[in-house]
Amino acid sequence: MPTLPKLPRPPQIGLLKGLGVTLKTMMSPSTTQQYPHVKPDLPPRTRGVIALMEENCTVCMLCGRECPDWCIYIDSHKEVVPPKEEGARARTRNVLDRFAIDFALCMYCGICVEVCPFDALFWSPEFEYSTYSIRELTHEKEQLRVWMDTVPPPPELDVGADLPKEIEDGLKAARQAAEKAAAAAAPSEAPAAAGKAGGDAPAAQAAEEDIHVEAQVDQEVFDQLVAEGKSERVARAKAKAAYVRKEKARIRAERAGGEG
Amino acid sequence: MEPGLLDFPSLGLSIAVKLLIMVGFFLTAPLVAGYMEHKVLAHQQDRLGPMEAGIGPIKHGVGQLVADGAKFIQKEDIVPTAADKWVFSLAPGVALVPALVVMLVLPLGPGLFGENLGAGVFFALAVSSVSVLGVLMAAWSSANKYSLMGGIRAAAQLIAYELPLVLGAAAVVLQAGTLSLVSIVEAQADFRIFGLLPMWFVLPHAIGFLLFFVASLAELNRPPFDMPIADSEIIFGHMTEYTGIKYAFFMLAEYAGMVVLSAIATVLFLGGWYVLPGVTVPELINWVVAFFGAGPFEFHPVVAGLLGVGVTMGKIFTLVFVMVWFRATFPRLREDQLQRMSWLILIPLGLLNIVVIAIAKVLA
Amino acid sequence: MNDVLTAADIFMLLVAVTGGAAAISVVISRNVVHAALFLVVTLLSVAGTFLMLGAEFLAWTQVLVYVGAVIVLILFGLMLTRAPIGPMAQHNENGHLAFGVSTLLFLFLCLVIFRAFGDVRLDLQYTGAAALGEVIYVEWAFPFMALGFMLTVALIGAIILARREEGEGPVTDLADEIPARDSRDVTASPGAISAGARAPGARAAGGGSAPREVQQ
Repeated sequence: MPTLPKLPRPPQIGLLKGLGVTLKTMMSPSTTQQYPHVKPDLPPRTRGVIALMEENCTVCMLCGRECPDWCIYIDSHKEVVPPKEEGARARTRNVLDRFAIDFALCMYCGICVEVCPFDALFWSPEFEYSTYSIRELTHEKEQLRVWMDTVPPPPELDVGADLPKEIEDGLKAARQAAEKAAAAAAPSEAPAAAGKAGGDAPAAQAAEEDIHVEAQVDQEVFDQLVAEGKSERVARAKAKAAYVRKEKARIRAERAGGEG
Repeated sequence: MEPGLLDFPSLGLSIAVKLLIMVGFFLTAPLVAGYMEHKVLAHQQDRLGPMEAGIGPIKHGVGQLVADGAKFIQKEDIVPTAADKWVFSLAPGVALVPALVVMLVLPLGPGLFGENLGAGVFFALAVSSVSVLGVLMAAWSSANKYSLMGGIRAAAQLIAYELPLVLGAAAVVLQAGTLSLVSIVEAQADFRIFGLLPMWFVLPHAIGFLLFFVASLAELNRPPFDMPIADSEIIFGHMTEYTGIKYAFFMLAEYAGMVVLSAIATVLFLGGWYVLPGVTVPELINWVVAFFGAGPFEFHPVVAGLLGVGVTMGKIFTLVFVMVWFRATFPRLREDQLQRMSWLILIPLGLLNIVVIAIAKVLA
Repeated sequence: MNDVLTAADIFMLLVAVTGGAAAISVVISRNVVHAALFLVVTLLSVAGTFLMLGAEFLAWTQVLVYVGAVIVLILFGLMLTRAPIGPMAQHNENGHLAFGVSTLLFLFLCLVIFRAFGDVRLDLQYTGAAALGEVIYVEWAFPFMALGFMLTVALIGAIILARREEGEGPVTDLADEIPARDSRDVTASPGAISAGARAPGARAAGGGSAPREVQQ
């Protein structure tokens, strides 16, 4: 038996449902942020601009070589550093003359930040640096240094995560130093100097790393920084850092008080 | 025909006043409709819409269309080399003028109308159907196949939907027993369902109203019937080659058309300037005042007229809102679905509606 | 009094001259779309003439039916078939003959009208829609209905003529629900597969409407 073609169905109730959806959407407030008036609240890992910590840079050129569109310009020269000890060989050191990133070419892949072995490059969420001239988009190292102030503190580690490598190294060194100090203290009469020199500082550092502080914004510092004319994001980052610092100092003082 | 409030003893003065009011209405109402489209559409799509351009301290994009107009005027007026220059330049005007002319007969308030024509409904429908000529002229003269496709679609759509439009209006004319727009409003004031409950024609003519509204959406090429300017298929139909002020004319014609057809629907089905069925604003105010024990007030005819205009405008922009609402909600129909909907559903429904109304009219 | 030109007279003259000029342009225009657009002007002028003669309803009917629908149909047809920009290339050899015939016809009509109404002065008055309706639906009700019946018959006749016999072409039905790649795509061109030779699936889809057509 041949099947009859279906007749056009009557207007569906779905038409009315659709009208209901649009009406409900209209009644609910919009989530749009009016950008120039309201600054966006960007997450700390936003790829806004690349900042340079010049002190950390060893002119290894890895970033410039890895850059897919060759937008990093690095000039340097070698300087001879006089030997530290008498009779030792003089060493050469790379000195950075120019470090510039052309943000007109940059595609914000972040490979340079990833590849930097000395933590000299950072992402900053700052993004308001458009210009009327393409030349001004080449940021020299002075400008890149300015962006460094806008880099937010690194996010808290997950609970149970491995400690960062440098801290792990520090802890190991502290442990070794403590063992050495203990070994030295057993026969010797003067362990205090050695302990202070070798063991105490890393040990204190280790203790400090054990202190876990939930990052919060220090309102006082924040207000002060905003009053100084810093951008809100920078102020927030710094205020958080200040809070963490203060809190850790407090806890440390408490522990010291408890022990003593 | 009895003279309205705008008919002064001096012919020249009354013509001048009428023209002034008409141009004022023409320059403001479509802008309000356009602003509504911007904002309502935006909010229904979870956006804010224009927020910056404002008039004085009032922001929220109220000046957006004025700014757009200023921008359109500055733009280069491009005429394609292969285009038929005369027809190309005339087309936006032909599309716009009918809407302007129809405004002449729209009764906005008691006594406030340009001209109370004996065949007002007929005039309004006849003249508003001319605007498709502008679309066809633009479509052909652009020398662009997308424009031509748009023109063919517009023509087919107009032929299909002119009929439901007229059928919907004809049932009202049959009920009211007059073709004059003013008399139709008055007829609705006197109309009682089963001789008891005062009601506008929208309830007994629910089918007619639906037909009229759907057909007017199609006449205006408004979504979901915007196949003639379907941007994903034929760029922008007849407007593809237009720039600057000519393009602005087409947009103005669309918004003016929305206002005009909403106004006709208001007059035919929603009781014009009566705020409740059979109750004008002054009467309502006096009722409320009497409830609190105060004496009835006398309203100057001009004041009463202006209050009526407010009510009419409220109804017009409610309908414009619904048009925008539909645009935000419904997807575009396919061309064959559009034709089938008109010829197989709307037109038989309209004919049936007329028969039923006629029988009811004779029996009542 | 008769010698003084009133505003109405001037307007009438204007409308008549515009309409006449546009009518001539329709005929001599080399561009077929331009001719159709000139026809719009002519028809609007005729509507204006009706208006000046007090036949308001007739004038709006002229606008609604002729300008709003007939011209749109003409333009629709032109665009669907051919719509060249610029003058048409082919030359019509019958131009001279047509000119002669139309001139003779024009003169004949003038003669008839002048002979019949030459010295009659009509007392023009406004004819409202209600009065017109009364005349049509009461006084001339039977001829009106006869006319309506005739037009309906003509319409049905046109449909029957245009309708394809079964097996002649594609079976048109409620095609919305037919599965994709159906018979319509294939048989849209003339001389395609006949209904009987189509695949069983397509036959089944069209089967619902076939018996109905036989009944008609």
